[in-house]
Amino acid sequence: MTMLALTLLAPLLAAGAILALRRALGLLVLTGAGLGLIGAAGLFLGAAGGDPVTATLPFLPSFPVLLLASPLTATLSLMVATVAAMVLVYGIGYMAKDPERPRFFATMLFFIAAMQLLVLAGDWITLLAAWEMIGFSSYLLIGFWHSRAGVAEAATRAFLYTRSADLGLYIGAFVLIGAAGTSEISATLNTTGTPALIAGLLLLIAAMGKSAQVPLQDWLMRAMAGPTPVSALLHSATLVAAGAILLIRSAPMLPGGALLAIGLVGGATAVIAGLIALAERDLKRLLAASTASQYGLMLVAVGAGAPVAALLHLIAHAAIKSSLFLGAGIFQHDRDSTDLAALAGAGRARPGIFAGFAIAALALAGIPPLAGFYSKDAIIAAALQSPAAPWLLPLTLAGSLLTGAYMGRAMRALWSGPAPQSARSRIPLMAAGMMVLVLLAAGMGPGFATLEHLLDGALPEAAPIVPILGLVAGVSGLALGWLIAPARLLGPLMGPAQNGFRIAGGMDGLVARPARAIASACAAFEARLLAAQIGMIRGIGLGIARLVERSDAALYAFSLWIGRQNLHLGNRARWTDTNRIDAAIFGLVARVIAAGGRARRLQSGFIHRELALTFAGIALVTGVLLAAPYFL
Amino acid sequence: MSAQLIFLAFFGAAAVWFGVVVFRTHSMVRSAIALLFSQTAVGVMFLLMQAEFLGVLQIMMMATEMSVMAIFMVMFMMDPGGMGAMEMTHQKRLSLWAGGIGLVAALAVIWLADWGPAAMVIPAAAEQTADLGRELLGRSMFIFQSAGLTILTAMVAATMVAIAPETEHAP
Amino acid sequence: MIPELIIALSAGAAMFGVGLYGALSQTNLVMIIMGVELILAAALVNIVAFWRYLHPDEPAAQMFVLIVMAVMAVEMAVGFGIAIARFRSRGSVEMEEARELKG
Repeated sequence: MTMLALTLLAPLLAAGAILALRRALGLLVLTGAGLGLIGAAGLFLGAAGGDPVTATLPFLPSFPVLLLASPLTATLSLMVATVAAMVLVYGIGYMAKDPERPRFFATMLFFIAAMQLLVLAGDWITLLAAWEMIGFSSYLLIGFWHSRAGVAEAATRAFLYTRSADLGLYIGAFVLIGAAGTSEISATLNTTGTPALIAGLLLLIAAMGKSAQVPLQDWLMRAMAGPTPVSALLHSATLVAAGAILLIRSAPMLPGGALLAIGLVGGATAVIAGLIALAERDLKRLLAASTASQYGLMLVAVGAGAPVAALLHLIAHAAIKSSLFLGAGIFQHDRDSTDLAALAGAGRARPGIFAGFAIAALALAGIPPLAGFYSKDAIIAAALQSPAAPWLLPLTLAGSLLTGAYMGRAMRALWSGPAPQSARSRIPLMAAGMMVLVLLAAGMGPGFATLEHLLDGALPEAAPIVPILGLVAGVSGLALGWLIAPARLLGPLMGPAQNGFRIAGGMDGLVARPARAIASACAAFEARLLAAQIGMIRGIGLGIARLVERSDAALYAFSLWIGRQNLHLGNRARWTDTNRIDAAIFGLVARVIAAGGRARRLQSGFIHRELALTFAGIALVTGVLLAAPYFL
Repeated sequence: MSAQLIFLAFFGAAAVWFGVVVFRTHSMVRSAIALLFSQTAVGVMFLLMQAEFLGVLQIMMMATEMSVMAIFMVMFMMDPGGMGAMEMTHQKRLSLWAGGIGLVAALAVIWLADWGPAAMVIPAAAEQTADLGRELLGRSMFIFQSAGLTILTAMVAATMVAIAPETEHAP
Repeated sequence: MIPELIIALSAGAAMFGVGLYGALSQTNLVMIIMGVELILAAALVNIVAFWRYLHPDEPAAQMFVLIVMAVMAVEMAVGFGIAIARFRSRGSVEMEEARELKG
């Protein structure tokens, strides 16, 4: 469990730390890669010991995330971790002067974590998710120098081409899940019959996309626009391996028809891609075409019914191709170009690097005792023994021949030419990373036997003719490549080969342009929808504003009316106060004054009046007194 | 119809008639004399009503008073003899009305009230006087004394008022 | 219904009316005093009539008459004293000219 966690989480956490801290990059990168490597080694040892490590994480209700470290997956994991570690070491040196290093290393580490997840996936859902993640990382890494001309477009195109093929994986995986009822890969491998055939063909389509098989090989050439460490890691050993890994893991399920198809596709790729490689003028593009060709050979092995052979070749190829790419990177570092014409004599300037390059090239051509010899012989043996031998064997041999040819050509181009006497820059890290991989490429061969035992896979019995055939093909190819120029070698095929064997407008016309047209149509439609929406909203808004304005005017008029009524009321009150109340009061006052005046007349001073009043008063009092008894 | 009744009626009418004459004549002296005769008639009525002491007192007092009044009349009147025949009244109508109302109200009371049985036994005159004397000096002593005091005060006051002060300029 | 009583009281009432008329209508002070004399005389007549025909045993009635007579005399004395004083200051005792108490 800890090993699993280490393998998966170490690179991921290192990526996060790099993005967050943006300092001590070398340390973080090496820590992440190193811990991942330790984890993978632990897994491999554990699986080799006999008990596969599994882990289950809850996810969807009936589709939990399964991680499986069986001998097969643990081997692959170890391969990924090793190549990744070495490439990262190389990368620290290669990207030393680039200002965007944190982004580079973080994305690389993220890719490594995603690749490990894909390799260790135990269920289809996880595998699908990891498949997507590595595709996305590839896009980010190919387009790393997106400010340069053409790079962003190359990354987009590569992404589009592989994506179009990924559909196969989706449908195939869902077919298998539906047939088996569970998403666990090992359970679905028991599917038989029509679902298996359909699933197999669909998986083949996915593998064709990811592993750059014909007719989808062009994206790999475009992917060379990225930094060389990216090419070394992704586009030689890991990402493109995903297709082959998919087929190797599902090999037990694949029925005969699917196998035949796989073998034919692989064989065709091996030849066509080899021709393209031979005609190439750019070293990295040459190596990219070579990669496609080698994966074609792996597919032939799977199609021939020997997935173990394909696995061996995959591992060997990983070490070989990555070291070739690292060497090309060093030469690129020297000459600032990967054009073969520009690189003339670059190998002479750095003999040590060229020696490593040559070793790896010879290994690829299948020269014993290098690793490529063993794996290539296994493939040839498988092709020989397969039911479709008449088809597969010639294709395999032609592929081996072409391998030698273009490798010879590359070596010749690097060696022949004036060696500049200027001082070379010191490249300790890059050299170290490359050399480890070269050593692996050279010395892995003998270990393949133990690996066979580990994987419980039966390699086909190697008839004595097999090594001879392989050797002949490899040596003759090398000689042809070294001695004869490609134009003369290829003859009438030179033109199409240089063109990349484009048919019917290629992927551009079949996939990219239609996709782009649909995208722009959708954008226009959406713009119109938006405009309509905005128009509607604007209409509603204006309507509401008008309504509000009218109601506001009404309210204002109403308030004015209230004001006038108030004023009216006020005037009435004032009028009432002045004319009624005041009048009443003043009237009362006047009357009281008048009454006072009248009362004053009583005080006339006249005695007779007083007497009269006296009499009146007496009469009144008398009357009251007399009448009182009757009323009280 | 007893003799008392007839005489009472006669002397009553005389008193009233003379009273009227007091105010109708222009001569002052004649007014005073008429009043004298009116008071005398009242005194005779007293005598008729067997109040001898009172009747005599009335006649005597009124004779003196009216004489004094006649003197004062002559002193203060502009035209004592009444030769000028000047109208010496004011608020005549009001006075008539007042007199009329008083008369009517009194008459109404007199004629409409039930006075009860007549008294038949009249004490003799000597007995009346003796009773009066006892009354005067017995129960009504306080009244008598205060009346005496009042009279004294009045006499002093009248004298004071009548005496001309030396400092004021004489008319 | 005692006819004598009625007659006497009626005479008194008539005298009262005449005296009231005189007291109110005369301009001269002395005449006014004469009017008052008549009123008082009427009262005397009433008192004696009541005594004679209703309560002959009551000497207090006669006492009342004495008091009234005394009052008559006093009133005349004081009245004439005032008249003298007035006559001295004004030269006449006409009530029309006595407006000093006007309010």
